[in-house]
Parts: sequence; C-alpha cells; structure tokens
Amino acid sequence: MVDKRGPLLAVRDLRKSYGSVQAVDGVSFAVSRGSVFTLLGPNGAGKTTTLEILEGIREADSGEIEMLGNRVRRVTPAMKQRMGVLLQEGGFEPYLKVREILHLFASFFERSRPVDDVLAEVSLEDKAGALVRHLSGGQRQRLALGAALVNDPDLVFLDEPTTGLDPQARRNIWAIVERLKEGGKTVVLTTHYMEEAEALSDDVCIMDHGRVIAHGTPRELTAQLGQDTWIEFDTPDLEPEAWTGFPGEAQRDGSTTTVRTPDLVQTLDSLLRWSREKGVPLRNMTVRQPNLEDVFLSLTGRRLRE
Amino acid sequence: MKAVFRLARLSFVAALREKETLFWFVLFPLLLLSILTLVFGQLGQEGKMNFRVALADLDRGPSGRGQFAAVVEEVFLSLSVPPGPGKEPLFTVRQPAPGEDERQFILEQTEAVRLGRVAVLIVIPEGFSAAALAALSGSGPPALLGVYGSRGDAASGMAATIVDQVAARLNRELLTVAGLYRSEEATAVRTEWVGDTGAPVAYVDFLLPGMVLMGFFVAGLFSVSGTILFSRDMKILRRYWVTPLRVLQYFGGFSLGYLAMCVLQFALLVLVGRFGFGASVTFAQPLAVVYLVLGAVTFLALGFLVASLAKTAQSGMAIANLVNMPVMFLSGLFFPVASLPLFLRVIVLVSPLNYVAEGLRFSLGTGQLTVPLTLTLLVPLGWIGLSVLVVVRRLRWDVAR
Amino acid sequence: MKAFRELLWTQARVFLRDKIALFFTLFFPVVFILIFGFVWGGAEGPGMVTLGVFIVGEPDPVLDEVLSSQAGVSVQTYNDVARLEEDIARRKVGLGLVWDGRTLLFLQDPTRVQEGNALAQAARGIAAEIDLRRQGLTPVVAVERVNVGRALGGGWFSMVVPGIMAFSALFSGLLAVSGRITQMKERGLLDRLLVTPMSSTALLVSIATVRLVVGFISTSITLGLAAVLFRVEFDVNWGLYTVFVLAATLGSMGLGTVIALLVRRPGSASTVASIAAQIMLFLSGVYFPVEIMPAFLRALSAAFPLTYMVEGMRYVTGVADLSPTRFALITAGLLVVGFGLFPVLSRYVVSVGRR
Repeated sequence: MVDKRGPLLAVRDLRKSYGSVQAVDGVSFAVSRGSVFTLLGPNGAGKTTTLEILEGIREADSGEIEMLGNRVRRVTPAMKQRMGVLLQEGGFEPYLKVREILHLFASFFERSRPVDDVLAEVSLEDKAGALVRHLSGGQRQRLALGAALVNDPDLVFLDEPTTGLDPQARRNIWAIVERLKEGGKTVVLTTHYMEEAEALSDDVCIMDHGRVIAHGTPRELTAQLGQDTWIEFDTPDLEPEAWTGFPGEAQRDGSTTTVRTPDLVQTLDSLLRWSREKGVPLRNMTVRQPNLEDVFLSLTGRRLRE
Repeated sequence: MKAVFRLARLSFVAALREKETLFWFVLFPLLLLSILTLVFGQLGQEGKMNFRVALADLDRGPSGRGQFAAVVEEVFLSLSVPPGPGKEPLFTVRQPAPGEDERQFILEQTEAVRLGRVAVLIVIPEGFSAAALAALSGSGPPALLGVYGSRGDAASGMAATIVDQVAARLNRELLTVAGLYRSEEATAVRTEWVGDTGAPVAYVDFLLPGMVLMGFFVAGLFSVSGTILFSRDMKILRRYWVTPLRVLQYFGGFSLGYLAMCVLQFALLVLVGRFGFGASVTFAQPLAVVYLVLGAVTFLALGFLVASLAKTAQSGMAIANLVNMPVMFLSGLFFPVASLPLFLRVIVLVSPLNYVAEGLRFSLGTGQLTVPLTLTLLVPLGWIGLSVLVVVRRLRWDVAR
Repeated sequence: MKAFRELLWTQARVFLRDKIALFFTLFFPVVFILIFGFVWGGAEGPGMVTLGVFIVGEPDPVLDEVLSSQAGVSVQTYNDVARLEEDIARRKVGLGLVWDGRTLLFLQDPTRVQEGNALAQAARGIAAEIDLRRQGLTPVVAVERVNVGRALGGGWFSMVVPGIMAFSALFSGLLAVSGRITQMKERGLLDRLLVTPMSSTALLVSIATVRLVVGFISTSITLGLAAVLFRVEFDVNWGLYTVFVLAATLGSMGLGTVIALLVRRPGSASTVASIAAQIMLFLSGVYFPVEIMPAFLRALSAAFPLTYMVEGMRYVTGVADLSPTRFALITAGLLVVGFGLFPVLSRYVVSVGRR
C-alpha cells in the first residue's frame, strides 16, 4: 500500500552491531519527499553503515525500513528499480568506456534514461569515449553519479559524494545535487563536511557513535545555540599561565581559540585589552554566527573533523 | 536478459582491450602452436634439420684411397648437399683441408665434439676398405666405422642415429653392387596402422585440438578467476549489487563473455592451423563439438572454483599458477605421459584436461582412447559438479567488511 | 651501513610476500624438475621403444638374434594379434611386429604422433638387419660408437636440469628489475625512498643482493633435487658455479633494465619479461637441440642470452663440456651486461619518466 502523502523514506529504531561494537544504535528518522536529507557526523559515526542498510547491501539486526511505500526489513530488488546509489567507494571495469559503463548500468533497470542525457547531466560528454582507467578522480565520481542516476530514480543515496575531491569538483557535485532537488528527487546524503551539509540540506541528522544526537534543518540546529556570536582567532603556543585573566569561556583546538559570547562588543573589547596587556597577538580573527561544526562541538565536545 | 547479453559483450570487449589478456589467451596459444609445429612437425623431414659433422678418412694406402672408403665418403658428402632450393642439407660436413694432417684434424675434431661444436666425428679407419672386402666375401667381420659422439648431447645422439641409418643403407648398396644381395628376395616389409584412422596423423592435427583446449584451460583458470577476484576486490561488483542486477544475471553474462573468448581462440587457432600449417582435422562433428563445449564449461567452472578458494586476487593467481603447471605438463599435450610414479599418476587420473583432450582427439580421429569413453565425459562433469557445490557455498561476491 | 642492512631485510621480506615472484623463482623450477624427473628421469632419454612381437608359426632364430642385438628396444612376445593391437592402442607397447616367415608386418598407432618418428626409425633399423640376415649376409659396414664426452650418465634429463637452473636465474634477475623495481616506481615507493638520504645505488644493491641470494638458493635446490631424487650425476665446480650463477643473475638484471626502459608502462614490463623468458626457455636448446629447429628459429636461438646461460650452466654442473675460453667469454659477457647497465638503471630509477 503506497502512502503518497507520507515520507518517501522512514527508518525506525535501526540497529546493527559487529561483535561488541554497536555501529548503528537505534537510529530513527524520516525523509520528506523531494528534500535533501543529510546524515552528518565524523568518521565512524555509523552514517555509511546506515546508508548501506538502506541500499540493501547490508542487513540490519533489527528495526524497520519504510521506503517507497513498502514496509520492510530488507531492501528488495524491486525497490532498487527506483533507487539510485552512489557508494562511498567502488570501482568500475577499467577497460570499459564511460559510455559503455552507463549503457551497462542502464540495462540493469526496467526503465532508464538515454545515456547521452546522463552524460550531459554529469558533464562527461567529452569523456564519453574515454576508458575508465584514464579518468581523474573527479571524473570517476561523476561517472559513478551518472550510474546512480541512469534509471531516473525517485530516491537517491549519496555516500560521501565529495570526499577527496578538489574544490572545483566538489562544486560540480553540489550543482548536480541542486538540480536533482529541482527535479523533485529525494536525496539522502552522508558527509563529514559541515559546509556541504549547510549548503545542500533541507534536513540534517547529526550522528555520533551510532546514534542520532540532533535532528532538524541547519537553521534550527544552529538556533539551538542561541543568539551567541562566535569569535575565532589563532595564537602562537602559550603557557597555560598566560591564559589568566582571559575574558570569557574559550575552547582551544591546537592554536585556534573559539570564544562564544552573547555580547559581542563587550567581549571583543576585553579580548583586545587582554591581548595588549599580555602581548599576545591575535591572528586571523573571525567573527561569525554558529555553524553545524559548533553544534557538534557543543553536543559532543569534539570536532567533526579530527 | 538485456543485462546478461550486455554484460557478456562488455566483459568480452574489456578483456580484449587489456593487452595482457590479449597476449596470454589469444596470441600465446597461436605462438605455441606455431613453434611446436615448426620444430616437431617437421622432425625427420628433409631440409629442416642440420647437424655439424666432421669426416676423416684414414684409409689411404700406398695405392691411393680405398674403394670402399671412397664410397662411404661420397655417401656422407651427398648428404651435405641441399636437397632442394631453400632447404638445408642434413649434414654440414667438415673435412681436413688439402695438405692438412688427418690425425691432427681428428684430434681437433674430437675436441670439437667434446665441446659440443660438432655433433659427431666420423672416422674411416685405416684398413677399412680391406676389412670391408673381407666382410663382403664372408671371410671377416664387418668393417668398423668410427663414430665419435658425446653421450648426453641430444644432437650428438641424433646425428649418430642418422649415421646408423646411413650405414644400413650403405650395407644394402654395397651388397647389391657386389651381387650378393638379391633385391628380388628382399624381405617384404609393411606397416599397418592400428585403429580406425588408417593413415598417420600429421603432427599439427595431433597438436591443434590440444592447443585449443589449452587455450580454454588457461582462459578459465586465469582470466575467469582473475577477473572475478579483481572485480570483487576493487569493489566493481559492489557497484552492481546496489542495482537490481542479480548475482545469477552477472554470472550468466560473465560466463557468456568467457565462452565468446573461447570461440575467438578456437577460430584463430583453427585458421592458423589450417592455413598456416595445413591442418586437416575438422571439428564440425557432433562428438567433437560436445567435447569442445564440455571443455570450455569445465574450465569455466574451474575458474570459479579457484575464485571461491582465494581470499584476494593475489592469492588467487598464486593458486592458479600452482595448479596450471602440473596439469599442463601432465596433460599429454606436449609430451607423452606414460609410466609415472603414483603421486604424479594421480594428477593424470584426476585432471579433467586429460580426459577432455583424449575424448576430443578420439572424436576427431587423431587419438586412441586409453580410458573408457564414458570416463572422458564423467570426469569433467564431475569437476563441474564439484565446482558448483563449492561455488554456491563459498564464493563471496563482495569483499568482507 | 645499518640503513643498508634494514633495506636488505625489507627487500627480502617484500620478496617473500610477493607470492607470484616467489612461486616463479623458487617453486617453478622445483615443480618442473619433479615433473620432468619423474617422466623422463633416469632413462637414457625418450629413446626406449617397446616392441611387441607375434610370430606366426615356428620361432625364428634370426629374428631373435636381430632383436636381441637392438639397443634401445625392449621386446615382449605375444601369442595373439588382437591382444597385440589392443596393447598398441592402449600405449602399453609402442611398436608391433608380426612375422610369418616372409613378410615383416609392423604395426603402429598413427595417433602416437610425438613418438612416431622414433618408432618408424626403430622399425626401419630392424627391417634392414633382418633383410640382410635372411639372405645369409652379414653387414659389410658397422658403426662403432665412441663416447668422447663426459662419462656421466643421466641422458636427456641431466641436460634439462641445468637448463631449468639457468631459466631460474634468468627469471629471478629479469623480474628484479622489470617486476619489482618498476612496481616500486609505479607505486611511488621509489620517490618516497629517494627523498631520504638513501642513495639509489644502495637500494639497487639491496634488491640485487636479495635476488642473487634467491637465485643461488633456487638453482641449488633444483640441483640438489635432481641429484638426490633422480640420481642424476653432477660434477659441480662450486667456485665456477657460484660465479656463474651470480653472473647470470646480474646479466638478467641488466636485461630486465633494457625491458623496463623499452616498455613504456611500468605494469607491462613484468609481463613482457615473463613472456620473453618463457619463449626463450622453449627455444634455447633446453628441451631439444637447436639442430632440429628450422634455420630461422635456430638463428633466433643464437640471439637469446638464455642459450648461452644454459651452456655455461651445463658446464659448471659437469654435465657437458665447454671450451674454457668460451665459458669465460659468456661469463664476462653476462657480467658486462649486468654491471654495465647498472648506472643506466640508477638513472632510470631516479628519472621522471613515469606514466
């Protein structure tokens, strides 16, 4: 029974463990139709495991999956007809051409788009006749994305789509994701890049150690941190004694210090005075609103990127 | 089905684009066929072999050269003349230069034989003609012709055997000329061929079926297992499993691709065999086709078996190499494997390649069966069955995580 | 020095872990010898012919005499033609002879193509003898074979063993460069190692040392197996043997360098090397003498380094003779190729000529 008004994908109390390690520990969320949903978290948070369960290449210990109107424990081949999957890592036959790869993947589905359309969508038209082994990293990722979209899927899974890519390649992928959303597709993506989550997502689920620790739109999540302002600057290594008389609470990460304050002007004033008194230079000072990295930091005491 | 055929076509195309595959599975069998036929196919034929031979005649009495010695010398010299244009003579004969001391020559050439530079030294000893005359008249033993060779040197042994044959011919000639040998009373000699063939089988006709099967075998053992393991390790397969593609479809497509490779190998080998070396064996017979298909499918199964037993591509290749050597050498394709110690005989008894090869050769009329016909079918089928069992249980289509 | 020793151990460990290289350099020769030894070993070579005789009527003393004087033929008597034919088809007997007092009927299996020639020769020889004897004639001319070569036995197999040893050294040396080094280059390991104070020479020497040791061990194992298991008699000149194995391996490394330079893609170099080695093995006089090859193949064989390595190996193991000058020339040639190409190799290792 298909529920057209419900979420396209919902997960309830998903669990998966390996020996003593609980990789996915009671994860639940729902993804609205036509939205971009992001699982954000550091490496080892369980994002990929969760996604692989949803992609059908891993089996959950317990929990329920509701996808494309079906309530199942395990994803079926029939459901895969309407899914598109970009794996975190995977290869292609090195001696096949780009066009041949897409042509091959197209044959796996009942319905597929013309290969030329897909090539255009991922901007690989001029590489259509190139062998996979001659492609750059970014081009390979675009090919993988093309393979994931060749059946014009309703639900697209992107596992760490831009990891290891240069900024230009990353922007290319982001543009593709935007176009997918405009086309009414539902996208579930995982990442450990805060900027990616902020730029693309309608909905974010922050995961850590197999659990969902926060859920909401990027704005909602950062709003939890209140109206505080963040001041960030770099200092050379200092003795702990030098930090006496420091105005306000700060978190230090290497040589970067982050101060969180409700009253920007006053704190800034005190900081500058302290800097003059102690003779400590403040470099690369940024004053900004909280971001998801800060959310994670405040929830776990750790950074997203170790 | 669309997926299966597309997978078949693309896996075939991809394999051919890889230069290594192209060499080992397509060119190498052709190369081997050519070399083996060139070397062994013409063994004993005129104009193809050549041995370096030294000849010294010590039978020079005060009345000049002995008659018999002269005849012998002439016979050997006639073998040093090319039998036709573009052909090589059987012997390249070295003789002492005019004025050179014969005995010195003999010493030098003996040394040359020892060092392998000359195959044999033929010495017509002093008193040869007198002894020959005596032997002819029945009053003495045969005159001895000295043949100095190097034991263990295959070329020397072959040349010496040829000299034996020359001596036999010589004997008949001499006895005929002397009027003692009556050719009309010659013992009749006939050769009959055992079995249904009725005529000697050309070497290339013997070799070609074996080469075809060898091609299938290495393609199955190496290419099939290698590609599966590589595709799994590189997570190429994993990309397939997130689509609706089923394992069986992949398996089917891949297997068809392998069979296409076998067809290509077969076609090329038969073309080269027929038009390059004059092979006359025809594969277009029902039983032969059965064996060809059986062979291809058996080695496909073996490839999957190896893939099931190996954890990584590297260990898979190691297993394949380990299996390849004994099976190939003991397949009887390159040299006959008759009496062997038990542990090697086991390999011969168990190896599917031997059975299919025998069956194929029998169906083509180029071989006799040394085992019952049913076994030639059952043993390969048994291997297919065993492989299926192991594959279904053990072959992992995705890398362990 | 400590760094060099470390490097040496690392190279050794890497080699041991590379299953393919390990297989071809250590096990291949061993398995080869085992198989060939059991198939051919101890015999005088593929020369013994089994003859099955069926006599119609009375036994014939002439026939008996002729047959017993044939070296290389072992006789079995049959009372039944059908049985004889069956045994021929089953390959229990190579040649059949039916004698009815007038006609010599030889029976052969036409599908025994590989031995066909030898069998036909044996038949001819017997027929010729009988022909003469039956007319009450004795041969006028007889051949007396004198062996001027080494007195050791072993036959064909003992000639093959040094050939395999030479192949082993060749393969080991070739793959040291076109396999290991190009592999390191491909993986960027070379670049990483070279930014350390490690000199490229030290690296090359360590790789070479491992290969030399391995080459020596594998050829010696092959030798030992043949001697112990198959009782092949060798007369090894250990000093010359050591020198020659080293020279052969070094020379092969030099060849490997040539291949690595000619073949553009690093990954293909090892393939080309193994292909070259295997073709060479076939045509270098190891299995059969070059004399029976057609002229152009013979010329090709003379161009192969393996042909000369086999000659040298046969000499140092005491299986065949070689003029000392020639041996010295071969050894020197191998050393020159090896050492001479070493500096070229160093430059290759450091060069920017990557993919």
